[in-house]
Formats: sequence, structure tokens, C-alpha cells
Amino acid sequence: MIDIRRRTTYFFLLVSLSHVLLISAQVQSKSGMPLLEAIAFGAFSGVQRASAGFADGVASLWGRYIAVHGVVSENVQLRAEITQLQGQLQQRDAIAAQAHSLEVLLHLQQSVAQRTLAARVIAGDPAPGSLVITIDRGTDDGLRADLGVFTVGGIVGRVIGQPLPHAARVQLLTGRGAGVGAVLEQANAAGTVQGGGDTPPLRMLYVQNSYDVKVGERVLTSGQDGIFPSGFVIGSVTQAERGSTMYRLIAVRPSVNFAHLDVVLVLLDAPPSGAGSAIGAEK
Amino acid sequence: MKAAGVVAVIAVAVALQLTLARFTVGSRWAFDLVLVAVVYVALRWGPTAAVMGGSLGGLLQDALAGSTIGVGGLAKTVAGFATGVIGSQFIVTRPLPRMLLVAGATVVARLIVLGLFGVIDGHWPDVSWLAMLAETLLNSLAAFVLFQGSESLPGMLRRGPSRHSSFGKRKW
Repeated sequence: MIDIRRRTTYFFLLVSLSHVLLISAQVQSKSGMPLLEAIAFGAFSGVQRASAGFADGVASLWGRYIAVHGVVSENVQLRAEITQLQGQLQQRDAIAAQAHSLEVLLHLQQSVAQRTLAARVIAGDPAPGSLVITIDRGTDDGLRADLGVFTVGGIVGRVIGQPLPHAARVQLLTGRGAGVGAVLEQANAAGTVQGGGDTPPLRMLYVQNSYDVKVGERVLTSGQDGIFPSGFVIGSVTQAERGSTMYRLIAVRPSVNFAHLDVVLVLLDAPPSGAGSAIGAEK
Repeated sequence: MKAAGVVAVIAVAVALQLTLARFTVGSRWAFDLVLVAVVYVALRWGPTAAVMGGSLGGLLQDALAGSTIGVGGLAKTVAGFATGVIGSQFIVTRPLPRMLLVAGATVVARLIVLGLFGVIDGHWPDVSWLAMLAETLLNSLAAFVLFQGSESLPGMLRRGPSRHSSFGKRKW
């Protein structure tokens, strides 16, 4: 009995030591996709696709035929919203037409429209707090690492690791180590928005104390990170305090509701290099 | 047979985790079904199987999350070994002690992950104690369902369908 316990303890210590060595090896030099990662991702992406299809089927059955309470009032509300949005769209069309004519007049170079691809979210966090999702598009659809992912609300994150032919992982902007080049819409101050926090989920760094930053101000992409073009909405400022160093402490609330991600858009082209103005080289 | 059982339980837990976590991305309601499965393995097959299951499940999760491989593996190995030892020393057959064991394993695993990321990053990461509490509660709840289900399912299958459930057999 004692022998078995000892053997178990030795086995436990051996396995733990292996993990520590594994972690140490990666922290020293992390390049490319490790073999284990590729095998695990490849094996489970098929299962994820099937299980997502099944879960969607059940959810669709429930949503369409069973949980229809309040649909009539929701329809009325949605119609009102459509009318309102149509009005807003007309206003924006008018503004766009004005901007276009000004652009032509000033002989400005037309901005390049980027190709996008719609992708379905097929899996959520593999481990709590990892903030990584899996989408059903991969290298066969033109995806590669570091492509930007967004939705109607704003920035979602970026493709991480080497995608498979029909699946890719997306690190959410709120994830540990995620970041994007950003600019404050009104203060016109550039910096970097970083995830990995809890409260707030996003922080804007490197904005000097001398800038007047207002709560509620929108934070947009600066286009300097080589992933997102400028002008995409990241979120809005919820707190802006004077920091003890030369930089402000700015909390940002993401504009995207990450809890309701179903379909996302992937930017298939990297933004043209050198776009934007005097923003630092932070990535 | 035991190894095949461990691998099967962990594989099903990872697949379930990926499927169900789609609906809670970005919210505070996180859960870790792989950890629940590791505790299940620990109580069913002992600490050696738990070390194997914890290591396998954690490594798979790390690989799928694209994070540093081994962090989750080490956390779940320790949690699995600890629960396995406790399970072999004490009688843990009632739902409440099992749920408490899962709750403890959740906190231990989460603290190990946070500590390792703190060492790797050079600073202690932001911790949402509320999220940890939510995860502990959800994991305990999932454990209750899993343990009760795994115990009552064989009996239900043995008994077969109820005689009164079919109209076809009823004599009018």
C-alpha cells in the first residue's frame, strides 16, 4: 500500500516537473505553433464544428418554436428601430457624399476598401479566462495569423497562431496580452489599448497627462499596429485620471458585447503601411 | 481500461467545454468542465489516474487556448492529485462533500494558474474574485449533475423503459 502511494507521489512529481520544464522552454523561446498545439487544435476543430452545429440546431429550435414569448412587442420595437436607422443611414449617406466630393476636390487618394469574410463562432473559451474563440474559417478561405476580426459593434480581436484549413483561433481584445493601436476621437491623442484586465477589461496606455480626456469619449483604432485600419471603434472611455507618471490612467469599455458573438468579420488584407500620423510604434 | 476511461472522460469534457463556453464568452459566468472531469476521475479511479487525467486535460486546454502550454496542465495535475489523495483517505460519496471538493479544486487550480502567469509576466494579474466565485459555483453545480447522473444512469438503464410509458402496451 505504501509502495503504491509512493509510486503515485513519484508519478505526480515527475508529471509536475515535466510541466514546469515545458513552461520554461516556452517562456524562453516561443516561436511558431508547437506540435502539441497543432495536434490538439486539429483534432478538436472537427468536433467543435459538429458540436456547434448541434448546439445551434437546438438553440434554433428553442428560439423559433418554443421561446416566442414577447415576439410581437419585439417586432414593433424593431420596426421602430429600423425606421430610425434608415433615417440615420440617409444622413450618413449625405455626409459620405459630401466627404467624397471634398476628397475629389482635394485630389486625395481614395482609401482602399478592404476585403472581409464572414465567419461563424464555433467554440468558446477552452479554459476559463483564456478569452479565445474558434471560427469556422481557415487557410482555405485566405486566413492567416494576425488578421483583424471585428463585428458591427467594433473590434473583436485578431487571429492567433497558424489557422487550419477550416478553423482559426481568435484572441479577443480583452484577452491577456492583447493590444491594438488606438486614438482618442476628440482629444486626438494616440496610445495603445490593452486587454487582460478585469475591471476595466481594457486600458489605454501612453496618453500623456497634458491631454484633456473626457469620460464617454470614443476610442478608435489608429491604424498603426498593422492589423486594423484607422477609424474602427474600440470602445469608450469610462474613467480618465491623472497618473503618477507622465501618462493618464484611462479605462475603456469595449463597444462589442463579447457575450453575444455569433458571426464575425475577418479583415483579409492588412492595412496599408504608413497610414496615420504621429503615433508611436507600440504594437 | 482505466487509461481508456480517463482519456474518454477528459475528451468528452473538453468537447463539452468548447461547445458550452460559446455562450459565456466575455461574461463573468465561466466554468471549467475539464476540472470537474478531473475530480470525477480522481474519485473514481484514484490519484494516479487523476494525475494522468489532469495533465492530459490541462495540456489540451492550454494547446487549444494558444497560451503557454503546461500552465493549465500543472494546475490540473496538482488539483487532480490532491483530490485523488483526499478521495482515497476519506469517504467522499455524498453530494455535498463532492461539491466542496470540486469547489476547493477550482480555487486551487485557478490560484496556480494566476501564480504561474504572475511569474511569467512579472506581475500579479488582475483577479476577478467575483468571476472566481461564479466559476466555483458553476463547477460545483456541474459536479453535482455529473456525479448524480453517473450514479443513477446504470440503474435507469438496467430497469429499462417504464411499463406505463407506452400506450401500445396498455390494455384497454
